[in-house]
Amino acid sequence: MSDLDRAIEQLRQCRPIPELQVREICFKAREILIEEANVQIVDAPVTICGDIHGQFHDLMELFRVGGDCPDTNYLFMGDFVDRGFYSLESFLLLLCLKVRYPDRITLIRGNHESRQITTVYGFYDECIRKYGSANVWRYCCDVFDYLALGALVIGAGSSVQPTRLVDGEDAEAKVREAEDEVEIEVIGLGGVVTRQMSRRDAGMINSTNLTPSALPHLSSSGPAGALLTGVPGTGASGNSRGIANANTPANTGGAVLCVHGGLSPLIDSVDKIRLLDRKQEVPHDGAMCDLLWSDPEEIDGWGLSPRGAGFLFGADIVKQFNHLNNLTLIARAHQLVMEGFKEMFDSSIVTVWSAPNYCYRCGNVAAILELGEDNSNSVLRSGGEEVLFNRENTRRLASTYMGGSMKRGGPGRRYRVFEAAAQDSRGMPSKKPMPYYFL
Amino acid sequence: MALVVPNPPTQPRRVKVYELRNNDWFDRGTGYCTGQVLNDEPHIQVKSEEEEDRLLLETRIVKDDGYQKQQETLIVWTEPNGTDMALSFQEPEGCAAIWDFVSHVQNRIMSLSSADDILSDDNEALLYSVKLPKPELSILANIENMMHTLTINAAGRDSLAKFIINDDYIPKLVPLLDTAEDMEMLPELFSLCRIMKIIILLNDSTIIEYIVTDEVVMGVVGILEYDPDFPTHKANHRKYLSDDTRFKEVVTIDNPDIKKKIHQTYRLQYLKDVVLARILDDPTFSVLNSLIFFNQVDIVQHLQTNGVFLKALFELFSSDPLPPEDKQRRKHGVQFLQQCSAIAKNLQGPSRSQLYANFIQHGLFNVIDYALQNDDPATRIAGTEILVCMIDNDPLMMRNFIFKQIQEKTKPLTDTLIELLLSEQDMGVKSQVADAIKVLLDPNQVQPLEGIAKMSEMMNVVGNATRRPPGAEEGPAEVFFTSFYDKSAKKLFKPLSDLEGRTIESLSPHESALYTHLLELLCFFVRHHLFRNKYFILSENIAPRVAQLLTASEKFVQLAALKFFRACVQLNDEFYNRQLIKNKLLEPILNIVIETMPKDNLLNSACLEFFEFIKREGIKLLINHLVEQYREKLAEITYVDTFSSLIIKYDQIHDTTAPFSADEEAGSRSTVNGGKRWEGLKDLDAAEEEYFNGSDDEDEVEYSTVENSGKRIKTGGKTPASAAGSSPAGGKSLVDYPDDDEDVVMDTTADVNGEASKDISSAGDEAGGIENLNIASRANSVDVNGEDAAASSAATSAGNVTPTPSSGTDDHVMTGSLPPTPDRLSEKRRREEEAEDDGMERLLRSTKKRSPSMSKKGSVVVPGVTPAAGAAGKKISINFASKGENGKKKEKEREKEKEKEKEKTEKETENGEE
Repeated sequence: MSDLDRAIEQLRQCRPIPELQVREICFKAREILIEEANVQIVDAPVTICGDIHGQFHDLMELFRVGGDCPDTNYLFMGDFVDRGFYSLESFLLLLCLKVRYPDRITLIRGNHESRQITTVYGFYDECIRKYGSANVWRYCCDVFDYLALGALVIGAGSSVQPTRLVDGEDAEAKVREAEDEVEIEVIGLGGVVTRQMSRRDAGMINSTNLTPSALPHLSSSGPAGALLTGVPGTGASGNSRGIANANTPANTGGAVLCVHGGLSPLIDSVDKIRLLDRKQEVPHDGAMCDLLWSDPEEIDGWGLSPRGAGFLFGADIVKQFNHLNNLTLIARAHQLVMEGFKEMFDSSIVTVWSAPNYCYRCGNVAAILELGEDNSNSVLRSGGEEVLFNRENTRRLASTYMGGSMKRGGPGRRYRVFEAAAQDSRGMPSKKPMPYYFL
Repeated sequence: MALVVPNPPTQPRRVKVYELRNNDWFDRGTGYCTGQVLNDEPHIQVKSEEEEDRLLLETRIVKDDGYQKQQETLIVWTEPNGTDMALSFQEPEGCAAIWDFVSHVQNRIMSLSSADDILSDDNEALLYSVKLPKPELSILANIENMMHTLTINAAGRDSLAKFIINDDYIPKLVPLLDTAEDMEMLPELFSLCRIMKIIILLNDSTIIEYIVTDEVVMGVVGILEYDPDFPTHKANHRKYLSDDTRFKEVVTIDNPDIKKKIHQTYRLQYLKDVVLARILDDPTFSVLNSLIFFNQVDIVQHLQTNGVFLKALFELFSSDPLPPEDKQRRKHGVQFLQQCSAIAKNLQGPSRSQLYANFIQHGLFNVIDYALQNDDPATRIAGTEILVCMIDNDPLMMRNFIFKQIQEKTKPLTDTLIELLLSEQDMGVKSQVADAIKVLLDPNQVQPLEGIAKMSEMMNVVGNATRRPPGAEEGPAEVFFTSFYDKSAKKLFKPLSDLEGRTIESLSPHESALYTHLLELLCFFVRHHLFRNKYFILSENIAPRVAQLLTASEKFVQLAALKFFRACVQLNDEFYNRQLIKNKLLEPILNIVIETMPKDNLLNSACLEFFEFIKREGIKLLINHLVEQYREKLAEITYVDTFSSLIIKYDQIHDTTAPFSADEEAGSRSTVNGGKRWEGLKDLDAAEEEYFNGSDDEDEVEYSTVENSGKRIKTGGKTPASAAGSSPAGGKSLVDYPDDDEDVVMDTTADVNGEASKDISSAGDEAGGIENLNIASRANSVDVNGEDAAASSAATSAGNVTPTPSSGTDDHVMTGSLPPTPDRLSEKRRREEEAEDDGMERLLRSTKKRSPSMSKKGSVVVPGVTPAAGAAGKKISINFASKGENGKKKEKEREKEKEKEKEKTEKETENGEE
């Protein structure tokens, strides 16, 4: 077992590793991250995660629900630290995994990965508490400066292989027979499929009906729309490619842009991001700042952000951007959504939030977003996967994807919703008290 | 056992509301009735059962309304306006509850001596006195319920808090813990814990102060060990807090009150961080924080005026030889002072200065000297931290001190720090020392007015006789900087100078760390010490040495070296540019591009950004040099268009048939500020425009992309056919500004390149004058976003959103619909919290924060929402530099939620700096 593996083991138990080792890992991470592009290219399949905010136990829950690294290819969209009481362990674990499996986990920068913000929202204090000096905080902040600003997921499949619904074999058969592919699948708490939407039906799901009671009864569905119908009135789903492309079949070459905050008025193309020198503290304005701070909002065009940094941007901006850059979706984090995820603007952008019961009191659930790979020609399903399917629901299901031509853009996406880790699994969360005092 | 007086009955009771009209009871509808205390006045409220938002009845209970209870379910009264009203309850219980409330209020009113005017006494009237039964294990559940009911509204909470204090309720609860523990009565223990949580979350500072007193603290935290949320866990708070060894008393504190306060403060912190960490709501969190803060202030104030104590403390460091156990004490002494400094950050300016003055008088500098040269890294860290605190507090004081050292020909502190930086093996300390040097040499730290006052203060403190008369040319700061560049800088950058003749291969981790720090410092000096640093760099021939590091095998060292050149180029200063050209220093950077391309890594991006900047700013000297020397190389780099654009730009510059050639001269004479910014305007001319428009890829429409340099949002207004024009993004303004008059003009004008700098496009040429005007006016409206000082140079800075709060002067530009502009910095922190916490709510809120969209017309240019390069850009970068260091501390202070007043001042101070 290498030192690194030992460090990972120790961190998995939520125990900090020695300062010297932190330094070493940060140096190694720097070597790796410096080779990454500002917008790192990531091949599907990949599981996209939003804010973590130092909720270590919930991060472990995330791995339990989404599969372990390196078995699952992960992409974390920043905000690893602050607020929660285990920023250090959470970030270091992710960083160790990055060093250990550089191709199986991608970390991009969030607005909290900044010296200024971490001194206010807890990470700095946590480091001081846990190590007695700011050294570790400095090492981590140095790494922050090297984190990529975004990622581009390519080769995502156009539909998800539907997970068998709880009420039986029938349903699965139906799904398989159905001509419509499943564009969106939501796996709710406890691994229960709460929603499947065919490409034709899929509407903007705002995940308000995520309760198991909203579970569809497939037997009653028509032959083609075998699955749930989308939210009424939002038939124009999945069209994330802008008006111009509404009628052209989407090509699977469309990519998914992942970024912590959102778009910037200064960035009209993904390539423009390449021209930034990202190795710096997150500035107070400018393109780099906007990417980490902006929020989508129901407005036209751009608006001032109430956060005081970044901008608000409307549906037109997103659609235009996606169209120009041949994107099928923008995945971002940065905003708490009670249901864990929220698609907006005709599914052209989605917010993914992965910190359940945020701040230990918000009462929200969390979600991760799985994008499958586009293997249109592959065998639909092997026996091996059946075995997997028969295991307990919460197991990650290997996803393969239905073939066939796509009717609309937008990758097939599976949201796994999860709750905060059970209280007992984590002990009482608290900050580390100061070991001694003079005053 | 019941409450003497009920709280407002908040449980909704189904009721019909009647009004007497023409002797007939008119049915106003059915709804749910509650008693309420609104604005401290007792009310009866009925909400319609059909539409929750509709109130069927809302009436204040006053003294002589003649309330009557009839039968079991009817309450009748007369409104002050003479209307007779009736409430018909579905159930007698509901009626009784409301009636209790009414009669209680009326009794209260009657019993008051000045009963006539309820308003004058309504506070009194509303203090429902609360009485809870004496706690016993058997009735804990009851008590818990009653408390729970009481906490539903503010009045109930207040009276409950009062009762708990007056009745000494907590000491009555505490003994139950032992009994319950002995008998292993888990449900009762959980109940006790819940009760204690309710009591704490009442958020009454008297109670919170009380629970950390010696008398009850162990009982209270003991109760809190049995958290029902973690039924299988038991915390060990008592064990932790009763461990006396946690308190390190370096020098005996003989004042028992202060000692008590120290312990209590620690307990408060423990409560905040551990016991209550998970359940704290914001109000309680801030109550805890402010209690802690005030205690700390008291403690520090006491100690710093306690001469005996200070003498004993500092004597620790003066006595030689040193017995081993004293070494530990000295370390603790340094850490003690570090903790004092940390607390001092929260003090008001004058008392903070006073504190340091007292410390210095007793020999603080000796302690720092001792700490910095200590062989224990933790001590060195503590030492540098104290130093950084002091520099932050009053850089002038520090410089005066160093000035004195210089006068006395002793080794100045700067040199100590430099030596430490060069020799330090601990990476953490090294980087902290580098920070300390940076802060010490930050010219922005000098605040002239405040400085003078502090200076005199300081001079008294160090008893320096060399104070110069006012108006003397060489103030201590001058001497300080001169001495730094004459002597210290050479020492500091010696490792760089030593590179001469060396081929850089592999660097040791320590070397590379050192070079990174040195390069960072150098960048800082380039940006902030304009003149002195220039000559230093020239005389020491630093630039070629830095260029050597561009070939290091460690990419982060290469990156750090690149940053230096980027900083030089940023200034667009002929001196630096000529240096770069003379030594052919762009070549290694170009080589990096070629080596790394088309691999899209950080180093590559940083290099691209470098050339992109030269291109965008149209730095002619450098463009000429680049193209003349490396035309072929440039032409070969095709994976981005930056380099072909450079060539095109060059060709344009040298195209004698072009109408702008006359400006060439001027272009190379550009200065950092002002006028030159407009020079660049000529660069993006028709040809280039055509180039972009002609390209089939819309992406190529040139947007400037780099923060800290002006932004140019091109809009399609001018040429509807242009790529940008056809795209919504291009057609939208960056921010929706209200359609004020000036904008109307703008709407019709051509493509304005907001990039502060400049570029009047071909069309703009004819309309140049107008356009300038427009840009200026736009700048004003953009300034709404927060620029104040720079407003004067609005035309040139063209609308920067700086982190400055919008100042009053800008208000006139704002029109109603534009949301007030957040102060980008301090707001960022506050808002961020809100925005995140209320994220969902915000998202769901349907209110659209939409300002009128001038974009309808297609094309308003918002000239830059980032600082423009040059003047404004520089300003910002200064902010960053200083923010990095003291910004973080200031924020921390803010976080600590001290008294509002102070926070406000602080904010203002910070804003002022920005």
